Amino acid sequence: MPSQAESASTGGRTADRTPAGIDPRGPRFGAAITATLLLITVVLAVAGADAAAFWLLVAITLLFAWGAFAGIRRHPYGLIFARLVRPRLAAPAELEDPRPPTFAQGVGFAVGLAGILLSLLGVEYAVPIAAAIAFFAAFLNAAFDYCLGCRIYLLLARARIVPRT
Amino acid sequence: MDWLPALATGAALLAAATVIGLAWRSRQGVARSGSGDVVHPADLGVAAFGERATLVQFSTEYCARCPATGRLLARLAGEHDGAAHVEVDLTHRPDLAGRFRITETPTTLLLDGDGAVDDGAVRARIAGLPRAAAVRERLDDLLRSPHAVSS
Repeated sequence: MPSQAESASTGGRTADRTPAGIDPRGPRFGAAITATLLLITVVLAVAGADAAAFWLLVAITLLFAWGAFAGIRRHPYGLIFARLVRPRLAAPAELEDPRPPTFAQGVGFAVGLAGILLSLLGVEYAVPIAAAIAFFAAFLNAAFDYCLGCRIYLLLARARIVPRT
Repeated sequence: MDWLPALATGAALLAAATVIGLAWRSRQGVARSGSGDVVHPADLGVAAFGERATLVQFSTEYCARCPATGRLLARLAGEHDGAAHVEVDLTHRPDLAGRFRITETPTTLLLDGDGAVDDGAVRARIAGLPRAAAVRERLDDLLRSPHAVSS
């Protein structure tokens, strides 16, 4: 863990240790797909299609795991965005650090996994409630560029729970 | 299976999320009253404040909107005599995030000044990408009042 505690100057950016930036629209594109799938999960669960809702949540959670552990840049939605969408858009005004959206994928993974495990333990409504919570985060990210995971990241960095570069 | 309540639930979720998003966005970039807390440059690890006003921008290394915010605030500070812009990177200073209760970056504080460059009181606070008009209005107010001394 590289620490640069004492040289912690303000203002300057330590570009050397920062991973290459990503197009901030990439994670939002992925969040739009994720939000749609999560909303379908909720509707299926409330309609009584329990098995379909369960397996859809499993699939979404696996995709969250992919983003969280392989990195947001290797996520299939990110690849679709880079291949099909980004060439049609103008260059982004700013690039974004991939760490917060990667962390946000981890938050989604934790919520999805909790829903799956509680459902397997027989907790009623675990699937739609977990899907609804994750839907809020994904929808706000896609539609309003509000990154709930980024805020949690800052709060945890404040509490010194996650390592700061 | 009963699809009508299910679809209604889905629509209600979508509506609730939209309301939350709109409420959040309406507060983004808007200047709200500051705490009046007196801050010294050394607290933030910067050399000096502006003589009459200082825009303190809290950033993180991984913040997408911070570079654009920095350019905007530097330009606005340049338009006003006695005003300065300083940027504080919280990535290595989580203690400051705690002290100023920063929950998102960028967050900008507007400090006043009484002619000295070694302290200032927090007069306004802006969460998110600042709206230029809101910053300009607060700066003008601050620079127009001749007796604006830090308490």
